[in-house]
Amino acid sequence: MLKRIIPLLIVVSIGLLTLFGHFINVEFIQDFVDNDSTQWYDIIASFAIFLGALNLIKLQSLNIIRKKKNWQYSLLAVLSFFLVIFAGFFFRGTNYVELSGIHNKEELSFIVSKLTKSPQEQILSNINSTEAEYEIPKIYMSGSSAESLLNELLPFADSGEVKQKKWGAHLNTDGSLFYWIFDYIFTPLSATMFALLAFFVASASYRAFRIRNFEATLLLVSGIILMLGRVPVGALIPAWIIGYICVLGIGAGIAPFIKNKQTFLGIILILFIINTGIAFLNGWNPEAPSFLFLPNLQNWIFTVPTAAGARAMMIGIALGIVGTSFRIITGLERSFLGE
Amino acid sequence: MELIKNIFINIGTINRRWIFLIVGLSVLLPLLFPIKIPIQPTLHSQQVYNALKNLEPNSNILLSFEYGPSTKPEIHPMAIGVLRLLFKNEHNVYAMALWPDGLFMSQDAFKQVAKDEFNKKYGVDYVNLGFKPGNEAVVKGVASDIRKLYTVDSQGTLVKDIEMMKDIQNINDFDFVFSFSAGYPGSKEWLQFATDPHNIPLSTGCTSIQVTEILPYVENEQILGVLAGMPGAAEFENLIGETGSATGLMAAQSFAHIIIILFIILGNLTYYFTRKKGRKY
Repeated sequence: MLKRIIPLLIVVSIGLLTLFGHFINVEFIQDFVDNDSTQWYDIIASFAIFLGALNLIKLQSLNIIRKKKNWQYSLLAVLSFFLVIFAGFFFRGTNYVELSGIHNKEELSFIVSKLTKSPQEQILSNINSTEAEYEIPKIYMSGSSAESLLNELLPFADSGEVKQKKWGAHLNTDGSLFYWIFDYIFTPLSATMFALLAFFVASASYRAFRIRNFEATLLLVSGIILMLGRVPVGALIPAWIIGYICVLGIGAGIAPFIKNKQTFLGIILILFIINTGIAFLNGWNPEAPSFLFLPNLQNWIFTVPTAAGARAMMIGIALGIVGTSFRIITGLERSFLGE
Repeated sequence: MELIKNIFINIGTINRRWIFLIVGLSVLLPLLFPIKIPIQPTLHSQQVYNALKNLEPNSNILLSFEYGPSTKPEIHPMAIGVLRLLFKNEHNVYAMALWPDGLFMSQDAFKQVAKDEFNKKYGVDYVNLGFKPGNEAVVKGVASDIRKLYTVDSQGTLVKDIEMMKDIQNINDFDFVFSFSAGYPGSKEWLQFATDPHNIPLSTGCTSIQVTEILPYVENEQILGVLAGMPGAAEFENLIGETGSATGLMAAQSFAHIIIILFIILGNLTYYFTRKKGRKY
């Protein structure tokens, strides 16, 4: 009984408190809603990450132990997990050289610029603006590499030492093991997965984007207009060419309703002449008539029908959220308890 | 005629590996042999540019990085372009990330623009607060009290020791917010929990697929313009007068779009002839 009532009471009371925070001007409620509750959320979210990581390891380890299908991938996942944990929590790998009392700034800036591939003037200005110690902007994973650089640079300064970045800062210091993993493993893998979309979109549109009925045709035509209108090449297609395509489209639309072929051809011919006449009167201006210019057409699709549809969906979703929230706050919705 | 019909019907059974190869080549060839295509800024990109250009000198600008490596080609050029414009106009730049990988993206952008191009000083001209988990709760925290949320920056330096952070207490101390967004949490959360309730101007640069979600807010002027996907990034580069990676990639995207359209037309011709043949027999 308590297992149900206590979580329910927590949810209802916190939900009501947060809701009242928007309507009641009492300082401690406002403070709770604006500050404390968000901090609570941060703490709970951090624990959720921890739980998620444990769950991942448990599932992948079971796959390996039971030698389930493709268990090798699970092994890779577990190994990668521990590699990243090692790089994040146990190995900083952010050794750098710090010099003080620099007496040969010109020569030092020349060596550092070669080392970091940065402009020498910039390095020199940084050295000149440094009051005490100057940090060489190059990170080494191993201490011995940093030591050998220090020995190489010591003749240009009174003293120097090898230091490491602070724990935590090493995660976003370019050159550390963690950063290396992000740059050379995570980034290419992630980009590759996303890039595959282009191939699947091409293949799927080839097989599935078919003129089956009016709705499908509408979708196809607007899709093509958006695809061409969004890229610069769309602006290179003159509006009068789109006019001719529209005439053909109109022809395809009215063809089933006109039995007499001569009448049909006559209508198409008249429309062609009208389009040519308009283009001639506009001096074959590629952007006239402006409503047929592809970038304008795609802009209209975006700002009128698409924005209207998106607004309708957003209002619908918002109403749904209000309804569900109300059910949760009043204790009517108990699916979070596993009921 | 019968031969043409049969060719189209046979094309319909083409192995999809050929489609993949053609799409791959349509992207690769323009990258290997660059072609210059004239770029015309759209109204939404122009709005973003105007909003940033018209800011008073020395304004405090908050940049939020909500994208990762998968969407880097689309959004990173925007971040580079925006940073170039902000540093050129001598603004104070504050950065943070709602996505864990956003921090790495911001580091990359600052290294390229702040350090290598403008030689700006960390803590004096710009500061990077880093990533905090919590999605909209973080946005709400920035809106109410940034000091409670961030005690140290991304380098582990105490926020109270950073010169630039002295006058910064919450969202009201910023003159403008710019969100580089590839999904949730992103621009919508900034709008709903921070900029709209506190009346702070917001602009965004997002992926093409997100534009439909953002557009109603742009049309209402709750968001001042939107840089929509890679074309948006290329348009912004054009507006600030700098040719960046997005401009270079536009030819590849244009060709890929044309190839996909050609495939759609081809697929429909195959469908038409197959259906006709089916009716006949």
